[in-house]
Amino acid sequence: MSTVATAVSNSAPSSTSNPDIIVETRSLGKIYRDFWGRKKVQALKSLDIEVRRGEIFGLLGPNGSGKSTTIKLMLGLLFPTSGRAFVFGKEATDVAKNERIGYLPEESYLYKFLNAEETLDFYGRLFDMPASVRRERAEHLINMVGLQKHRRRQLKEYSKGMTRRIGLAQALINEPEFLVLDEPTTGLDPIGTREMKDLIVRLREQGKTILLCSHQLADVQDVCDRVAILHQGDLKELGRVDSLLKVQDVTQIHAKGLDENTKTQIRELIAKANGEVVKMDNPTTTMEELFLDIVRDSENRPGRRSSNAN
Amino acid sequence: MRLTPDQFWNYQEWLFNHWGLLWGLGIALILSIVGFLIGFLVATLKHGPSEGFLQVSKVIGELFTIDIPKMSFRRVFAIAKLSFKEAIRNKVLIVVLVFVIGIMFAGWFLDRNAANPAQLYIPTVLTATSYLMFLMALFLSTFSIPRDISNRVMYTIVTKPVRPTEIFLGRVLGFAGVGTLCLLVFGVMSYMFVVRGLRHSHEVAAVQANGLAGETKKEHNHTHTFTLDETGEGTTETVKGHRHIVRKVDGKLVVLDQVDDLTARNPIYGMLRFTGRDGEEGIGLNVGYMSEYHKYIEGDSLMSAVWRFDGIRPSSFSETLNFDFTLSAFRTYKGDIVTPVGVEVKFRSIDGKVESDRIQFKVKEFLIDQKSIPLKLKGIKDLQPADLDFFTDIAKDGSFEIVVRCLDRGQYLGMAAADCYLRAKESSFEWNFTKGIISIWLRMFIVICFGVMFSTFLSGPVAVIATVSVIVLGMFGWFVDDLVSGKLAGGGPVEALVRLPLQSGSGTELDLGNEVIENVIRGIDKGILYSVAALKYSLPDLYSLETSEFIAHGVNLFEGLLARHLTIAIGYFLMTSIIAYFFLKTREMAG
Repeated sequence: MSTVATAVSNSAPSSTSNPDIIVETRSLGKIYRDFWGRKKVQALKSLDIEVRRGEIFGLLGPNGSGKSTTIKLMLGLLFPTSGRAFVFGKEATDVAKNERIGYLPEESYLYKFLNAEETLDFYGRLFDMPASVRRERAEHLINMVGLQKHRRRQLKEYSKGMTRRIGLAQALINEPEFLVLDEPTTGLDPIGTREMKDLIVRLREQGKTILLCSHQLADVQDVCDRVAILHQGDLKELGRVDSLLKVQDVTQIHAKGLDENTKTQIRELIAKANGEVVKMDNPTTTMEELFLDIVRDSENRPGRRSSNAN
Repeated sequence: MRLTPDQFWNYQEWLFNHWGLLWGLGIALILSIVGFLIGFLVATLKHGPSEGFLQVSKVIGELFTIDIPKMSFRRVFAIAKLSFKEAIRNKVLIVVLVFVIGIMFAGWFLDRNAANPAQLYIPTVLTATSYLMFLMALFLSTFSIPRDISNRVMYTIVTKPVRPTEIFLGRVLGFAGVGTLCLLVFGVMSYMFVVRGLRHSHEVAAVQANGLAGETKKEHNHTHTFTLDETGEGTTETVKGHRHIVRKVDGKLVVLDQVDDLTARNPIYGMLRFTGRDGEEGIGLNVGYMSEYHKYIEGDSLMSAVWRFDGIRPSSFSETLNFDFTLSAFRTYKGDIVTPVGVEVKFRSIDGKVESDRIQFKVKEFLIDQKSIPLKLKGIKDLQPADLDFFTDIAKDGSFEIVVRCLDRGQYLGMAAADCYLRAKESSFEWNFTKGIISIWLRMFIVICFGVMFSTFLSGPVAVIATVSVIVLGMFGWFVDDLVSGKLAGGGPVEALVRLPLQSGSGTELDLGNEVIENVIRGIDKGILYSVAALKYSLPDLYSLETSEFIAHGVNLFEGLLARHLTIAIGYFLMTSIIAYFFLKTREMAG
């Protein structure tokens, strides 16, 4: 896959009217300048991407690659130095688009002196929701993110994971069509991470479009349909996760209950077909799976040592 | 207290006849043009002239087509409520505690022997309240938006459908709400402090054998002597700015609560003109360097001061026509500064055909000289002595004149338009005090507007400095005026800087021995001073919005004056909201 062409003029591009394109950037570029207008860093160089309706789109890249800048440009928090960004076919700086967007920032930037209920009520008001709707949504979201017992505590008393959850709840208060999640699993424990990933997938099943930006490659791999990989402000790769990760000339078979004899026969069969056995052994589970199994077992049989331990 | 003529213009007069509206519109127009030019310059530097022009026009257009029409009260209220909660949870109410403690001990530091305690107590509490409110408004309004931006909470606000106008309005209303709450507490506390400290009565200490005069006991550091009529009714003499009514109840003399200080007189002002030494229309004399509107009449001559009153209604008065004088004397005698100057006053119909008998009295300098005449009085009608009814004979259509002459040869009496006024039925002190508090609220509101406006493009500490500059220029703008007009000797900042090492007194002309250098210095100073003066004229004149003197001197704070102040506050609110809108709209929240 090659880097996308960048030669699009600044004034020419405009949004396509395709309703299935939620986000569209055209030669989007950003240069950070100092107080005197001198160039400090070019954070993004002529980015062209599209996020389509109903998909989970991942933005990947190391620190300083331009992921957060891209998100901020899409949300109108920054203004592009060159090119344009469109969300729902409108300029990214158009406030009206925010009606349909939910945004979970990198760290949950919320008012620490409010409690969970007040936080959701406040953000609900910003969407001009009547009191009954605000109450109903807040109730539902607090239950969904598991903060029932902490709804009256000020956010300054919250742990990082709890703050992430309330951050997610505020992002969902308006039942957005398009959700922007910046590092959604930061600060979450493995259970929280799994729940977050499950939730993201569920949200996609409900028809929402999600833009996810993360360092956690496993998270991106687990949930994203398509990814863009950025490095030093350049788009390096863009495509479907499954096709990007697929190793074309290696075949993987998972089988259960085979004895040694059968395994030998399989090896022989592969050799006969001029194939090469790269690896044949018992798979190991992931640490995440192991941890989740232990916690589930512990919840089912409190006070006992896990059956997985030996 | 000396009122300036502009203070008793009514609202319509100020708005339409005295440039109030034009002044506001002029400032708005100049600021709009300057704002557009600055915006255009900045946008041109970023995007080039044509794109820059489009960008600025778009921002202006969106203000009227989207950002104002699509404002939501619910969003504004949400931000206002948030600001309120933020302030309360950041323990801003500690300021209230400071005030309460301050007022608890304020009595220790106020002079108990003051000549007029009301004029000491009331300005003290109202000034303390004003400055405390300024401080609170300053720190509340300047830090919130910069803090939201620096800790990035603003990310979660501006990614909601919130408009810049709503952020500004919400913040201003929220902080004004906190200010109102504190001001309510301060107001009640101040009122209690004043009333508890001043309101008192006395017991009768001694009565003369004829039962027509006596003296009270010494209470609150003073005593009164009093006189009574045959029915046993009377008043004490004025001591410390107040009198008491003395009344016989069940055969016993009782001194009631004081009158005259905790009150709200309703002055009705007239237009002043003068007649010259020949008795014809003329101008008052200027006895030296005095205010332009304060003039003198010569004693024992045909010179007179004539106040014309219009629109006087009988319903404003009961049995007597009350009027106050604050005349000053200018003596040409040497040595005698004690003998008071004599005055002669008569009331005259506009056509001059009916006039009252002359009333003569001695001027009480530096004090309000309270007089009253019965509405049934003697005088001259069509050159014949007659019994007159004030409102049917003299003030037929509500208009009449008061003619004042100075009796003593070689003495001069000084007066300005506001130095003679009719005293209509008094209003309630409580309502007057409330209006004083409302006046403080308006000034606090203006400071909040400026604080929030500066905080939309400056960091917290810099916004504080900018807002303090507005307050200082607003409170001491007269100093800039005096410097520009040359009334204050010593020149501008550069000249002052040069004079310091030379130890050159400000009373002398600057003499460096080189005219060119002197002119350069004066030129630079003029440039600086005119710039500061120009800035001053676009900033609120907080000094003239100060009204505590009205309350302290027991003068009803005219509703018209308060309405003017309200209009000015609304004007500055609009100005600051538009400036704040442009900054919020055009700044990168994540920049």
